[in-house]
Amino acid sequence: MAEISLNNVSKSFGSVNVINDVSLTVDAGELLVFLGPSGSGKSTLLRMIAGLETIDSGTLTIGGVESQNLAPGQRNVAMVFQNYALYPHMTVRDNMAFGLKNIKLPASEIDKRVADAARILEMESLLDRRPSQLSGGQRQRVAIGRAIVKEPAAFLFDEPLSNLDAALRVRTRVEISELHQRIKSTMIYVTHDQTEAMTLGDRIVVLNDCKIEQIGTPMDVYTYPASRFVAGFIGSPAMNFLKVEMSGSGDSMVATLGDGSRVSLTITVPGSGQYELGIRPEAVRVTDGKGDTSGTAKVVEHLGDRTLVYVALKDGTQITAQDTGRSTLVAGDQVNLTFDTSQLHLFDESGKAYHSH
Amino acid sequence: MTPQTAKRINIAGLAITLFTLFCAIIWAFPIYWGIISSLKPEDEVIRPYIELWPDTLTFQHYWFALTETQIGKWYINSIATAVGVTILTVSTSMFVGYAISQLRFPLRQPLYWLILASFMVPTQTLIINHFVLIANMGLLNTWAGIILPQLIHPVAIIVYKQFFDQVPRDFREAAVMDNAGEFRVLFKVYMPMNWGVTTALSIVTFIWSWNAFLWPFLAVTKTEMMTITVGITQVNDAFGVYYARQLSAAVLAGFPVALAYLLFQRRVTQAITLSAGIKG
Ligand SMILES: Nc1ncnc2c1ncn2[C@@H]1O[C@H](COP(=O)(O)OP(=O)(O)OP(=O)(O)O)[C@@H](O)[C@H]1O
Ligand SMILES: [Mg+2]
Repeated sequence: MAEISLNNVSKSFGSVNVINDVSLTVDAGELLVFLGPSGSGKSTLLRMIAGLETIDSGTLTIGGVESQNLAPGQRNVAMVFQNYALYPHMTVRDNMAFGLKNIKLPASEIDKRVADAARILEMESLLDRRPSQLSGGQRQRVAIGRAIVKEPAAFLFDEPLSNLDAALRVRTRVEISELHQRIKSTMIYVTHDQTEAMTLGDRIVVLNDCKIEQIGTPMDVYTYPASRFVAGFIGSPAMNFLKVEMSGSGDSMVATLGDGSRVSLTITVPGSGQYELGIRPEAVRVTDGKGDTSGTAKVVEHLGDRTLVYVALKDGTQITAQDTGRSTLVAGDQVNLTFDTSQLHLFDESGKAYHSH
Repeated sequence: MTPQTAKRINIAGLAITLFTLFCAIIWAFPIYWGIISSLKPEDEVIRPYIELWPDTLTFQHYWFALTETQIGKWYINSIATAVGVTILTVSTSMFVGYAISQLRFPLRQPLYWLILASFMVPTQTLIINHFVLIANMGLLNTWAGIILPQLIHPVAIIVYKQFFDQVPRDFREAAVMDNAGEFRVLFKVYMPMNWGVTTALSIVTFIWSWNAFLWPFLAVTKTEMMTITVGITQVNDAFGVYYARQLSAAVLAGFPVALAYLLFQRRVTQAITLSAGIKG
């Protein structure tokens, strides 16, 4: 268990600056998730911590040891690769023992650690098989086992579930979460899947375009997205964004929607003018009363516990609303919508967020 | 598939089979002829017409080759030099191929170009230089003298490089995270993942070196230091050439290679395809 901190690290590939002046601390025992779309620099950042990519400038400390110039093997971190990278010619046992033999641990200690890891991961019966004789899920376990036996200061996972089918992904996700609670080791987990990030992470680092957009607990990031990007990236179905004209001042500001309807907000923004109003589908309710605005239901999706209604406002603006599971709406119906004003966000042109208070 | 097309395919298949058989016979006939002739008495060999089976079957030439010549020593020389060439070629090529494929060091690319370029130089053009060099080193008539010039074998390096290039980078990174040094990565990960190439290269190099004639012929003047390919040219005496004797010695010389080929047939085919693919 160790704290990891990155201080003002940068990284370029040739002339392309990929990571620029990033600072970040992973608390000891924490499971931190790097979340971001493809090409956002998640893997690069993780690999810089692992030592598989060099750090051009800035410092990296792992468990208090300045590590940016150490060889990967000396950093006392273990990595689980997306494609597992199990050595195909070695048995499961040898795969797990390889790293320990390299540091010349006594054979008895190696046997003990391999046996312990196999028990934790419930794969004692697989020890003498080769990777080609295992299913995808079992290979995944071996890859995790290979990391566990090293008893590292931190585990690094790079999209470890992306090669599994949907059901197995959910199960393995839960297992990783359990593993983290059991061994309480520091873990960094890279994913582009926001559900994985929300369910696994103690905290999430949202990356976009190789920059950190926000660091926070899953609920923080969900409830108070720091930017337009985070708001749109987190949450499924995605947040609605509506162009609005702000007027008024102080605590009595009013947003005018494209269709002319007016909503009074409890958000203070510096000036009036053009903003984007962000509101999650669950904060847009179908109502029998008058509501804040109204439109025509285009598509109705019954999900059982709730119903998603895709509504076109009078000016053509699309908005996703939520109704109860037993909704009797059908496409073409006129619907009135109310906004939960405590869950509204405004974004200015630069993408900066303002939240309800 | 209609019956007609099935029939047409059958006819095409039959034609191809017959053609292959024809080629095989043309290819195999000299071998058959050589073996048969070595089993005939000398006077029968020089008869002007073709006889597909000896009138008198005799093993006297084999007996001669095995008892009256130094064929035992030639075998030993051939085995020693061919094994030496094989081990040295394969092990050095493995290191060079790994370095060029996996390590990052200055002048790596120019080095690779140099190796590729050396590929274009036929060994025969260098043979005078080799002779002078080996003579100056005092290595004529020694195993080392026979082996050294045969170690120039860029194909093996290129084959290894290509194979190591194809190993996904994850394996190397996993091994590096696992605290493996370069030697462990090479011997515990890359080599075991490419045993097929190593066996194939070894067999081909062995056969190639066993069959080498020009250089061993120049490098050796003493009968007892000859390799078998050179030695079989010595199976005549002051009275001239004995075809049957020479053929029997040639059969004996080719025997180990044929055996190696039969044992590792599939690997050899693989290796030849490999190097052919690379030669383009
Ligand atoms: N070896 C490299 N050479 C040049 N550019 C690179 C290299 N590796 C990554 N990059 C660039 O760095 C940026 C970040 O890449 P990175 O692999 O970290 O993204 P990622 O967030 O992991 O994406 P993904 O979800 O697709 O894995 C990308 O723009 C990529 O093109
Ligand atoms: Mg990645």
